[in-house]
Amino acid sequence: MTLIAIEGVARRYQTASGAVDALRDVSLSVDAGEFCTIIGPSGCGKSTLLGMLGGLVVPDAGRILIAGRPVAGPDPRTVATVFQDPGLFPWRTVVENLEFGLELQGVARAERRRAATELLGPLGLRGFAPKYPRELSGGMRQRVAIGRALAIDTPIVLMDEPFGALDEQTRMLMGEWLLEIWRRTRKTVIFVTHSLHEALALSGRVAVMTARPGRIKSVLELPMPYPRAMESPEIVALRAKLWHEIREESARAMAGS
Amino acid sequence: MKTALARLGLLAALVLAWEGAARAGSPLLYVPPSSALPALRDLLLLRSYPDLPSHLLLTVREIAIAYALSVGAGLAVGFALGLYRTVGRAYGPILAALYAVPSVVWYPSLMLFFGLDAASKIAFGFLLGFFPITLAVLAGIRQVNPQLVTVARAFGARPLTIFLKVLVPGMLFTLVGGLRTGLALSVIGVIVGEVLGSKAGMGALINHAYGLLRTADYVALVVLTLAVIAASDVAASLLERRAQRWTE
Repeated sequence: MTLIAIEGVARRYQTASGAVDALRDVSLSVDAGEFCTIIGPSGCGKSTLLGMLGGLVVPDAGRILIAGRPVAGPDPRTVATVFQDPGLFPWRTVVENLEFGLELQGVARAERRRAATELLGPLGLRGFAPKYPRELSGGMRQRVAIGRALAIDTPIVLMDEPFGALDEQTRMLMGEWLLEIWRRTRKTVIFVTHSLHEALALSGRVAVMTARPGRIKSVLELPMPYPRAMESPEIVALRAKLWHEIREESARAMAGS
Repeated sequence: MKTALARLGLLAALVLAWEGAARAGSPLLYVPPSSALPALRDLLLLRSYPDLPSHLLLTVREIAIAYALSVGAGLAVGFALGLYRTVGRAYGPILAALYAVPSVVWYPSLMLFFGLDAASKIAFGFLLGFFPITLAVLAGIRQVNPQLVTVARAFGARPLTIFLKVLVPGMLFTLVGGLRTGLALSVIGVIVGEVLGSKAGMGALINHAYGLLRTADYVALVVLTLAVIAASDVAASLLERRAQRWTE
């Protein structure tokens, strides 16, 4: 069942050196419960697209439907977002950061504290409730940011290169951890990345975007079960195929920037 | 403990040197501690200036009003300039230009507008306290990580919620620093105003003692005024430290 329908959206930015086409005629539909990755060269408008899904960016053309209704601004009952910069509130403890979304929704103090505390275990942050973000490692901070998004229990979670700032080992572990969470909650995840490894390890489908102006170039199905053996012939073949799709775009992005 | 002793030692040495130097020179002009301390005692026992309490109260009241006005206007103007881009572009430069003018040049016109009484002192205290508060608000807004605002928007926060839950806590340390500077400058404004010309208040007493060459009383009045100011600053710095611990 289609949960998210992106229909011909476009976005152009005005910059000091003239107008820039960030996205042009992007269409994609995502089913409920899917883990869909969007991959593309830097500056291809991935984040803009995610911003549109979250209601933070308004498309110049086209529209986005979520459960049949057009997106008209942030809707924290349907969509939660995790950004590359975790954006934790430095004056709030871990548990208070986790509570943020519930607090905005007017959930009573005791109730939201209970909900946030329940998340600490799955987040691997047991015992860290009273710590401040500055006392945590990069991976832990990003887990808090993911927890803050999971706390409001939306059917859709958008992730904008959530592990982009982490070192490779942490990234891989965080990926495994995220899969575990996703399999348990069956949320619809749209995951933006520029890492082939992440795309292949995590997603059920990968949408490849072109260099600016970003369009969907192709969509790859990854029907293999989890956890995936990254050295299996299937994955290696898909990796080559995916790289072939992206290579040209990355080269264009490099030449253009 | 050792540092405390060392400080006491330095203080004692300074007092002794002061005493010796004042006696060697002119005790009237240099006021040695041996005559300043009795003068301070007489002042506090209301022997030299029996109406000291009413003067002190007047000064404190002028400061309180000037500071309250500085805080109110400073916050309002600061947030208006910082949060509304058009307003900021239009009026920000004017504010900066006004701030660059040495404030004392305004005082004569303030006396002409507001007279010799409390109003001109309050106006001057306000003028001095207003700028650092406004500028601290502007700096504080710039210092809030824009990503935090984006996160709050993504979670459905409306402008008022963003203001209360992201902006104010994010800039609190800078804001409190500005409020503290504003207090110090409001105090300076009121007292300078009183010294430059007034009939009542601590500044007027200081002027009176100085004019009559009652130098020991003059020193005692200055010491008392300093003590009041220092107390207000200590209170403000305690608040500042709490805000710092909270924001970091």
